[in-house]
Amino acid sequence: MDFRGIYDRLVAIHAPGLVKADEPRKADPKDKKDKGRAGDPFVLVEAQELARFLESCRDDDRLHFEQLIDLTATDPAKDAPDFWIGVQLLSLKFRHRLAVKALLPKSAPSLPSTVPVYRASQWHERECAEMFGITFVGHPDPRHVLLPDDWIGYPMRKDYEFPKEYHGISCE
Amino acid sequence: MANETRESAQGSSRIQATGPGEVTVDIRTPDLEINFGPQHPATHGVMRILMRADGELVTGAQPHLGYLHRCAEKIGENVEWLQYLPYTDRYDYLASMNNNLGYSLAVEALLGIEIPRRATLIRIICAELNRIGSHLVAFGTYGLDIGAFTPFLYTFREREWMMALFEKICGARLTYSYIRIGGVFNDAPPGWFEEVARFCDVFDEKWKEYCDLLLVNQIYVKRTANVGVISRDMALDFGLTGPMVRGSGIDWDLRRDMPYMCYGEIWRDGAFKIPVARGEMGALGDCWDRSWVRVMEMVESTKIVRWCLDHMVDGPVIGEIPKTLKVPAGEAYVGIENPRGELGHYVVSDGGKVSIRTRVRGPSFCNLAVLEDVLPGSLVGDAIAIIGSTDIVVGETDR
Repeated sequence: MDFRGIYDRLVAIHAPGLVKADEPRKADPKDKKDKGRAGDPFVLVEAQELARFLESCRDDDRLHFEQLIDLTATDPAKDAPDFWIGVQLLSLKFRHRLAVKALLPKSAPSLPSTVPVYRASQWHERECAEMFGITFVGHPDPRHVLLPDDWIGYPMRKDYEFPKEYHGISCE
Repeated sequence: MANETRESAQGSSRIQATGPGEVTVDIRTPDLEINFGPQHPATHGVMRILMRADGELVTGAQPHLGYLHRCAEKIGENVEWLQYLPYTDRYDYLASMNNNLGYSLAVEALLGIEIPRRATLIRIICAELNRIGSHLVAFGTYGLDIGAFTPFLYTFREREWMMALFEKICGARLTYSYIRIGGVFNDAPPGWFEEVARFCDVFDEKWKEYCDLLLVNQIYVKRTANVGVISRDMALDFGLTGPMVRGSGIDWDLRRDMPYMCYGEIWRDGAFKIPVARGEMGALGDCWDRSWVRVMEMVESTKIVRWCLDHMVDGPVIGEIPKTLKVPAGEAYVGIENPRGELGHYVVSDGGKVSIRTRVRGPSFCNLAVLEDVLPGSLVGDAIAIIGSTDIVVGETDR
């Protein structure tokens, strides 16, 4: 199925939390400020409904997304109000992909864990948590995965300040 | 007395080993915590697995990563698009060509540019040769892990030639930065394609030696068959990709099922097959199946290389790419078939000179997560065989 087909199916099954589809477009020649958007299409969903949305993607027999390939977060800018949560789903049976995106306010970076739906997201969520300071409520093992346990701060945030030293080792 | 111990052990046993490799617990021993690594040859890098063992039986395993963490993703947000390329070499250092390719394709997806045909074919040749080299290490060192030293020397003999080929085309042996955004760095030197063809001819004879020496060797089969079985459902649930998923009997390969570059054309020509494990030596999805898939994939890779050599065209190898690249605003995810599985690059641009997000979905990182579930219930000796069969590169799990 192509992206349009997937989106129509998502609308038809009333996938929880579905907001809209975002497709690449050319720049509007009349509007000089508009640069258009390149790349892949994705669907926007509500962050608090993300786990339930993924569940319906997995269980629907026409979508059949058996695998969660990637789950990650993005901090678009220092002054941006939201983090983006990006999920890549893959259906081996129908050979299609879906990019899912959710906006998560920086003021309350917390959302339900998606581990009960796909266990593949277990380590990805741990990585997001330590790098961005996002809390995945109900995660079975919320330890650091790549960073040391005593690391301070969230390195992948745009406003992160690099530490001057770590346990007496100069970082400058 | 013996009966008594057995009964009490069964009463308290927390292990329920099932399936062909059944283990009976008849002595009660206290749990022992073992630090496997970080400096252990079988972890293929610097990784620690905190293992809990009840006698010879593993009852729990917790991988601890991050010893090689360099935060490549943060670096991606601080350097220009073209400058990031050398960093991609350094996550999966056994398959650097494939990493270069994955990143280049992701940026090209945003740029929306066409790649010259000759560059595409050279890219595929390099990626497939690198796949052979990477699987040679995986297969050779796997033998080393479980006690067979000689096959390792045989596999490194061929790998040496492969690296010499890369040295001729780009000057580097491990970190190539050869595949660039827009094409490849330079054209192949005179006589290079002929030598690649010769390599394929020789390799077609040599891989049979690996089969005789190791793959069907009874000692090897005893060590790997029925060990570390990953079921089909588990492979899907954990998001495994590449030889790990094909080793569990799932017929999936991005080169065929979601073709990029001209893999679709090669597949339609019937030039290569996708080896999928059938559980020949034991349960489907065991360590033997995974190493069989890797050996067969090397053979298929030589066929792809030959197809590209036969269809080689003349022309430029790189398009017009400005020194300071500005990438249109947007986001793209491109996944390619790395030797270890799906290597995904998720890049986000705001139209500037620097990316605002360069996410790397490393296959080793995802494949490693399954250890927490596969190791418990196996013997300590088999744990080495299981870890080796996942073929992780720690540079990539930690990035």
